[in-house]
Amino acid sequence: MPLNAESVTDSFLGIFTNSSIMVWFSTLLIVLFCRAAAGKITMVPAGLQNFAEWLIEGLYNFFGSLLGDHLVKKTFWFFGGTFLFILVNNWLALMPGVGTLGWDIEYDGGGSHYLPLLRGGNADLNMTSAMAVTFMAVWTFWAYQENGIKGFVAHIFAPKGKFQGIMMKIMIVVFFMVGILEVISILIRPIALSFRLFGNIYGGEQTLEKLMMLVPENLAFLPALPFCFMEILVGLIQALVFSLLAAIFLNLICDHGDEEHH
Amino acid sequence: MFTLLAEAGGLADTAKEIGRTFGWKAPLFIAQVVNFALVLYVLKRFAFGPIQEILEKRKNRIADGEAKLEEIEQKLADSEQEKAALLEAANEDAKRLVDEAKESAAALAEKKSQEAVAQAQNILAKAEEASRAEAAALKAEIKKEFGRLVVETTTQVTGKTLNATDQKRINKEALSSL
Repeated sequence: MPLNAESVTDSFLGIFTNSSIMVWFSTLLIVLFCRAAAGKITMVPAGLQNFAEWLIEGLYNFFGSLLGDHLVKKTFWFFGGTFLFILVNNWLALMPGVGTLGWDIEYDGGGSHYLPLLRGGNADLNMTSAMAVTFMAVWTFWAYQENGIKGFVAHIFAPKGKFQGIMMKIMIVVFFMVGILEVISILIRPIALSFRLFGNIYGGEQTLEKLMMLVPENLAFLPALPFCFMEILVGLIQALVFSLLAAIFLNLICDHGDEEHH
Repeated sequence: MFTLLAEAGGLADTAKEIGRTFGWKAPLFIAQVVNFALVLYVLKRFAFGPIQEILEKRKNRIADGEAKLEEIEQKLADSEQEKAALLEAANEDAKRLVDEAKESAAALAEKKSQEAVAQAQNILAKAEEASRAEAAALKAEIKKEFGRLVVETTTQVTGKTLNATDQKRINKEALSSL
């Protein structure tokens, strides 16, 4: 499997890639799940609504323990949605046929290339970077909303603690330098988030593919099978890591220390 | 400054190279941003929104229920206390009424008993008086009969008719000897 997602058709600016098909499929599944679980919502839950309530309430409480009541109420739709979207994509990528169903493309100059019809949504840097950049956009908005421009800048560059005299002047310089590092760290965050998720998912798929190649074709599933279970776990952990880190980044910039939040 | 710009230029080239290697393309990236935004919208609008709303409603209903339960328990405790107080008051009233009834019954019995005694004495006195009157009447009749018998006997023995004075005198003598 190559590093990049491949377009299954050249039309529409080539946006119909094998990974985007999986992303739309995941989107469709999520939409269907939402309609089935919350279409006819009742006060006494039953069936799928029960499961959806358990899932959403669990996620809400989990993010609430990190962000606090005020922030989680405002931002849960993003963190909960990101977690579910990554999870569904990661697990769908483990379905039989993903990465294995496809066709050979013959080149005019000779040689051929195997093009899989489906590719894990998060095994595409475009998808993971889209999520990371979207997060940075909402992070900036919420950080501004919570702190204001002055507070936002002060949060990054202003000295923390109570200093006086010469110590204060030294601390201003020190915290300014720390602020510059903080800005670099903030700028690196979307890159780190994108590559961490992409690397883990793509690496997992590569592992499965290589393991399948170790044995004859009719036994290909065998060595990969135990690693499929591991990948199920990796899929969950990576969904958790991405959304958890995003929540922590937001909490760091919106944290008012000992101040009372009103 | 130039070094920094060159570094920045180098960084941009590196970024482009990484992008090419990993197949990062602006149209694909934008398409995925749209996809992601769509998923978030769908989840917020059709799953998180209604489910969180129902969870909130349920939480409020449970809290209301708990509050009402506490209120009911408080009312129950109050009413138990009130009931106990009422029962105590009723018991006291009942006891007082029973005591009063007992006292009244005793007084009534005493009164009735006295009335009965008085009535009995009255009846006895009347009976004694009637007996005395009857005895007097009998005595008078006996006297009269005795007198008549004495006069009659005397008339038959003497053979002469006695006048009223004789009769009166003989009767008087005979009666005084009784």
